[in-house]
Amino acid sequence: MRATRPRLRLLPLATCSLLLTARTGGAGPPEAGPGSGSVVAIRGGTVITVGPRGTLENATVLIRGRHIEAVGTDVRVPSGARVIDASGRYVMPGIVDAHSHTAAEGSVNECSDSVTAEVRVADVIDHRDVNVYRQLAGGVTTVNVLHGSCNAIGGQNAVLKLRWGKPPEGLLFQEAPRGIKFALGENPKRSNFSVPGQRRYPATRMGVEVVIREAFREAQAYRREWQGHAEKAKAVPRKGEKPVAPRRDLRLETLLDVLDGKVLVHAHCYRSDEILMLIRLAEELGFRVRTFQHVLEGYKVASEIARHGAGGSTFSDWWAYKVEAYDAIPYNAAIMAAKGIVVSLNSDSNELARRLYWEAAKAVKYGGVSEADALKMITLNPAWQLGVEKRVGSLEPGKDADVAIFSAHPFAAETRVETTLVDGTVYFDRERDGAGREAGEQETDGSVLAEEGR
Amino acid sequence: MFLPTVPALSRPGSASAALALALLAPASVGAAREPVYALVNARIVTVSGPTIGKGTLVLRNGVVAALGPDATIPPNARVLDAEGLTLTPGLIDAFGGLGLPAPARRGGGRSEERPQSPAASPSPLAAEALVLDRIGVADALEARDSGITTALVVPREGIVPGRSVLLSLAGQRPEELAWRQPFALHLHMATLRRQYPSSLMGTLAYARQALHDARRYGEEWSAYEKSPAGKRRPAYDAGHAVWLDVLAGRLPLVVTAHRENDVRRALALADEFGIRLLVAGAPHAHRLADLVKARKLPLLVTVNYDPPRAPSFGSFGGDTDEEREREEIEEAEGNPAALHEAGVRFALVSAHARDFLAGVRKAIERGLPREAALRAVTLSAAEALGIADRTGSLDVGKAANVVAWSGEPLTKDSRARMVFVDGRLHEPAERTDSDEKRRPSVAPER
Repeated sequence: MRATRPRLRLLPLATCSLLLTARTGGAGPPEAGPGSGSVVAIRGGTVITVGPRGTLENATVLIRGRHIEAVGTDVRVPSGARVIDASGRYVMPGIVDAHSHTAAEGSVNECSDSVTAEVRVADVIDHRDVNVYRQLAGGVTTVNVLHGSCNAIGGQNAVLKLRWGKPPEGLLFQEAPRGIKFALGENPKRSNFSVPGQRRYPATRMGVEVVIREAFREAQAYRREWQGHAEKAKAVPRKGEKPVAPRRDLRLETLLDVLDGKVLVHAHCYRSDEILMLIRLAEELGFRVRTFQHVLEGYKVASEIARHGAGGSTFSDWWAYKVEAYDAIPYNAAIMAAKGIVVSLNSDSNELARRLYWEAAKAVKYGGVSEADALKMITLNPAWQLGVEKRVGSLEPGKDADVAIFSAHPFAAETRVETTLVDGTVYFDRERDGAGREAGEQETDGSVLAEEGR
Repeated sequence: MFLPTVPALSRPGSASAALALALLAPASVGAAREPVYALVNARIVTVSGPTIGKGTLVLRNGVVAALGPDATIPPNARVLDAEGLTLTPGLIDAFGGLGLPAPARRGGGRSEERPQSPAASPSPLAAEALVLDRIGVADALEARDSGITTALVVPREGIVPGRSVLLSLAGQRPEELAWRQPFALHLHMATLRRQYPSSLMGTLAYARQALHDARRYGEEWSAYEKSPAGKRRPAYDAGHAVWLDVLAGRLPLVVTAHRENDVRRALALADEFGIRLLVAGAPHAHRLADLVKARKLPLLVTVNYDPPRAPSFGSFGGDTDEEREREEIEEAEGNPAALHEAGVRFALVSAHARDFLAGVRKAIERGLPREAALRAVTLSAAEALGIADRTGSLDVGKAANVVAWSGEPLTKDSRARMVFVDGRLHEPAERTDSDEKRRPSVAPER
């Protein structure tokens, strides 16, 4: 997370009326998703697949149950299907936000130690956070809820699908691999997280590197301890006394999972020197950084990042909100992409998350990125960064039916999201939202909308 | 079953002997000296069964010996005329701070809404601590004046503040009051300031690691005990030993839930490690009525509607904290009635509120039927604590924990005239209220 970020940037917010949308009440969550037989057809729209088929005019997205069955201009809609008329509208994959703190209850920072790999955001999901609903209204369907950046190795993140109205476990993106937050630079060395009366190593960028290296050395020693135990246990005859297993250490276990590629590393960073440091360190230790987050100086070391194989998850044009962000340029996303990095544009903000489609548009304006590639930066690319590109991020048969329907092209200034589906279920519908507010309903919890989608 | 565990290392010398004695024969200490009492002409609200309009209740040897419209009065009984009085079981505060020093600042409000500093607590992460060591007997006994005979005393501060004690409010020394010691280990879903765990995530990770450590500690010791020859003796660890009691089912874990999802978190933790779980607090529990029912979760529902609140994080464009706080209080006050409506059994507990009964009356005001409220502070409380076979209702054989009320129990003007704890009579000092109608014609036993 950023500690100091200018909040007041005025943009015409299509979604600002949603600030009035009330809190989630006592009504229960929608029941389990639509039955495998239920069919929804989104018909007549301009379908931006973000897949190999590009953009299709006057096309249909056919959804059966939770998945997309067919996309095309010649798709036959079976009788009995629920039809959503999208003529004149734009249909695109649900937006994926690779850097979010939405729906985390309590602090997202366990700051008391420089390594807290054992803590899990998934333990503290607040399914009633109204920002879940507001982000659905911005077409967002998947978010990566990260631990904060106050320590070198933070906690494990939770990838969520915004199934508004479901209990916390219903929001978890079950198929997503685990991930963890690392942080470099000013935050972990405490320039932005000073707690009066508390001093914590490290206080320099050099120290951050040492903390990470030492943590993994400790994890490697932990592995050897367990391997030694396994060998000893094996040597014991069948009826002999087995040795007591070593202490389970949830922190070190998580770091071993990083080394084994089971946990994706999302590293908060700004400056090119610290980016290069982590690349060297990761290669020395034997793991790959999945994403560099923020990565505002990524354009300076884009070739190195590309060679390492990490993605870059950056802001469109935010800069100078702290010293290490002074060298940011709005061409960062475009340059990184041109060098072969899988680039996403993220929000790191409950508010910005609601209009990520305009953030993507800035990549066209500043870097001359193609519209298709710019849209990838908020869909398929972040999906890859989270390891869920086989499930979401494009409108292709077999993938999850996560869909956002826009009133105009997503880059148009007057566009707004009309309908958002997750797993084939409608979780946001502007008409219903407006009608509810006109009727003076104080509560909108998604359950009504979810039923509509079946 | 609960096995009373005598803490081997914490109280050397004679105190430990007295404690052990109290544990082995909890009701017998002093009970032999008590007279037999017969309360006659009383309205008897048994809670477990129908109310007796006019009858007799006989208390002997620390237990209810007989009750009914025609119960025989033993010849040696001290007869107390309870005409116009209503008898109920002694009230149980199944989660509170009886006898503990009051927190520095009382009541709710934002002034207190910050994580606790280490200095505020003896030790915020001390499974091995025993709250009995901190109880002031005179303070605890004061609660009898409001009809409370039984109380679970839980330290308020910290994350893992140690083990609670179940008190029966008769006696002079803390050990004499102890009914079950220790009763449970406690985990508050809270955070610490400037030390681990400083986030809710950290609190859960801490508990998980503590349980893993305890499991291994148990394995180490059982391997050693099985064949000590040639093995280094494992080091004793007071904290691991307590968590091991929890893992082994010897001690329940009581999780204090402040947020709706804390209840889910507690259940997940209990499931992961196979722990016997109680949940305390839970001001939003009515939202989870189905879950609570399905899981048969013993629930100790707070009447402390305006506790200190955790700071909010990252709220942007939402309601103001004042608005949210008002809503939280409203919801907490309506929580017991809503739970009852949903058919959930629960105990009402003070949760360290200054005035337990005022909180209970508030729940009644907000729609909880009075009979349900009475059950929630007697039989349901006993059920949640697993002691319903000994107390919580007026039945023959149960502990002689009885309150004689001047009026309808749990109304504002009703006073406890006589309070029996394990058959020992306490008469609250007379108040100068004008509704004072009658006093029982008996001299207090000393």
